[in-house]
Amino acid sequence: MTDQIREQMSALLDGELAPGELGLLVRRMERDAELRRAFGNYVLAGESMRAPGGITASPGFATRVSAALDDGEVVPNATPARAPRAAARFKRPLAGVAVAAGAALAAVLLVRPGTDGGSLMVQRAAPPAMAGVPMPGGASPTPAQTQRLVGFLVAHGQYASPIGRRNAWSNALAADPGINVVYEAAEKR
Amino acid sequence: MVRLSVILAAGTLVLAAPLADAAPPTARQWLERMTESLATLDYDGLFIHRFSSQSETMRIVHRVEDGRSVERLVSLDGSGREIVRTAEEVHFYMPDRRVVLVEPRTDAGSLLKALPAPGAKLDALYTLELREGHRLLGRDVRVVDVRPRDGYRYGYRLWLDAATAMPLRSEVMDGEARTVEAIHFTKLEVGEGVDRRALQPGVDATGFQWVRAARRPELRVAGAGWMPRRMPPGFRLVASRSQPVPGMPMRMQHLIFSDGFASVSVFIEPAPPKGPAPPESASVGSANAYSTQVQGHVVTAVGEVPAETVREIAISVAPVDAEASPAAAAPVPVDR
Amino acid sequence: MKTMANFPPSDGSTDGHEPRDGHERQASGVEQSDLELVRRVQRGERGAFDLLVLRYQHKVVKLVARLLRDPAEAEDVAQEAFVKAYRAINSFRGDSAFYTWLYRIAVNTARNTMASRQRRPLDYEADLNESEQSAVESRMRHGDTPEAAALSEEIHRTVNGAIEALPEDLRTAIILREVEGLSYEEIAEAMECPVGTVRSRIFRAREAIDRSLKPLLD
Repeated sequence: MTDQIREQMSALLDGELAPGELGLLVRRMERDAELRRAFGNYVLAGESMRAPGGITASPGFATRVSAALDDGEVVPNATPARAPRAAARFKRPLAGVAVAAGAALAAVLLVRPGTDGGSLMVQRAAPPAMAGVPMPGGASPTPAQTQRLVGFLVAHGQYASPIGRRNAWSNALAADPGINVVYEAAEKR
Repeated sequence: MVRLSVILAAGTLVLAAPLADAAPPTARQWLERMTESLATLDYDGLFIHRFSSQSETMRIVHRVEDGRSVERLVSLDGSGREIVRTAEEVHFYMPDRRVVLVEPRTDAGSLLKALPAPGAKLDALYTLELREGHRLLGRDVRVVDVRPRDGYRYGYRLWLDAATAMPLRSEVMDGEARTVEAIHFTKLEVGEGVDRRALQPGVDATGFQWVRAARRPELRVAGAGWMPRRMPPGFRLVASRSQPVPGMPMRMQHLIFSDGFASVSVFIEPAPPKGPAPPESASVGSANAYSTQVQGHVVTAVGEVPAETVREIAISVAPVDAEASPAAAAPVPVDR
Repeated sequence: MKTMANFPPSDGSTDGHEPRDGHERQASGVEQSDLELVRRVQRGERGAFDLLVLRYQHKVVKLVARLLRDPAEAEDVAQEAFVKAYRAINSFRGDSAFYTWLYRIAVNTARNTMASRQRRPLDYEADLNESEQSAVESRMRHGDTPEAAALSEEIHRTVNGAIEALPEDLRTAIILREVEGLSYEEIAEAMECPVGTVRSRIFRAREAIDRSLKPLLD
């Protein structure tokens, strides 16, 4: 029986587990430290074969991570939700003006006047929070505010020099605003 | 292995070989070559884009087809987002939202004419310096330092491939010589052999929602009613467009200014009836934006310039009488 | 030992390589299994995340150590990266491989650490390819604590010894899987045996290695 579970663990490592087998295996491994230890060694064997003598995590690493997740009561950010530290990308937030920018982008970013932008938008979870250097200034921008900037950057990029456009559009791609489709009267393909 | 393979096909590379006894090219000439190369060469590369303490791996593919640039910029770090500029349109793919945003392409006219060209006036605004560089990607490079003479613009350091003038590395620097943003190529292929298929989006957009403007925006001459009363030295209006906003009975103005190297866009839109909002600023990498309210409109200036520059531009924008405006007296006509 | 063409590792190990352009990527078995695990985490199964940690711990520690140029704090920063990934797990949408997403979090965590200590992070070295990567690592190994360097060596010798001692069919199977990155089906074809036999051989090879490693690491 134990052998069967361990063989499943080996198949899991290779991504060759049958779909039904995963649930039970995960639960068994959750309860059994010895299984986890063995799984860790299966992983280590592969790493060692590919990069002999290379840097690897120390034996207690995974246990420490698990403990950190337990201790700090770390909880995944809920979906939908707004993570507070998307601000690392911005010094100060844009105004809470909900009118959109850029021709087609406006259709996506637009919030109809007179309505509360927040309630119309379905937000998705923000990218991983960025720690590090604290930013001066006020609160983080909302996804709507970030969206505005992205729209502007794309429209602006068409007219910038090639280097400027590359920078502007790279920033637009990276800004990861969690764009939400608010206004849907656009043609579908 | 990181590598740079350069295949120079006849007619692809526009750079003229210098005569044996001609003076070596100046920094400005290197910049001009760089601008030309970026616009006229076909290339496919991978680069790291760094700003604040973030980094993102990206791929850029560029081809010239029928005298126009087509290009594709892809984020490789998991979001799957990409921007594809075809002959007619700009598509912004967002697989995470199953949306494609479409903007008509408006940089009409010939390839080189559309570029902010480092012209004679550049010397008044920037000092240019040429240095030797260590090799990058196995190639000889020349380093061009573009240092602003005032605080209204950023500095650049560009590592140009000695053979093609392509920027293998570029950094944007602020007034304290800190790097604000950097692009480092880790792989770059230049010349013929860039597959057209590499310009196809990597996203399968079946079932995505395509969002586009209702009407094609028109390019027209300045004097459409709003202009900055004061511009930082060196910036000139290079284009202006007025765009309808789908579903709304209002139009947005988009003015584009350039000092020959950096450019700034000004967007003007009617304010929502919510009430006045305080002025705000934002920045991402080397791009800064400033928004403010002027007479019932929201004015936003965006550009790869310092925050002070966009702020000054935005707060000086005001409605002007087309006849009385000095700017209208010397507009820059633009093609459709 | 019959070998197939040299495929890149299909276990999602993009360590040292740029995460590949989605245009060319095909979801491998490992990516599918990672995705399934992530879905479970998103539904509240913490245990599934622990498995992802176990799978990617070495890759992340190695990556972070390269970026920080200081192996000593690599584990702390790697731990931070995993914690961030867990917190942000609901924003992973499966458009790319899980490791690609995790890789980005780890890189950014390392860079934030460098930035907050006013140190310039490595530029190109984060994206070294395989051969340059091991050159960097061998330099760094000498900078390790003597204990850590000794342990790395010991692990290598132990794993190597265990593999050498395996019967040929087990050794072949594990090498084709871990080094050549072949799928079970590909290995079955190469070794002319059923897939179930491949699965069993690889398992028994790992068990043998585990028996050797256990006294070393406990």
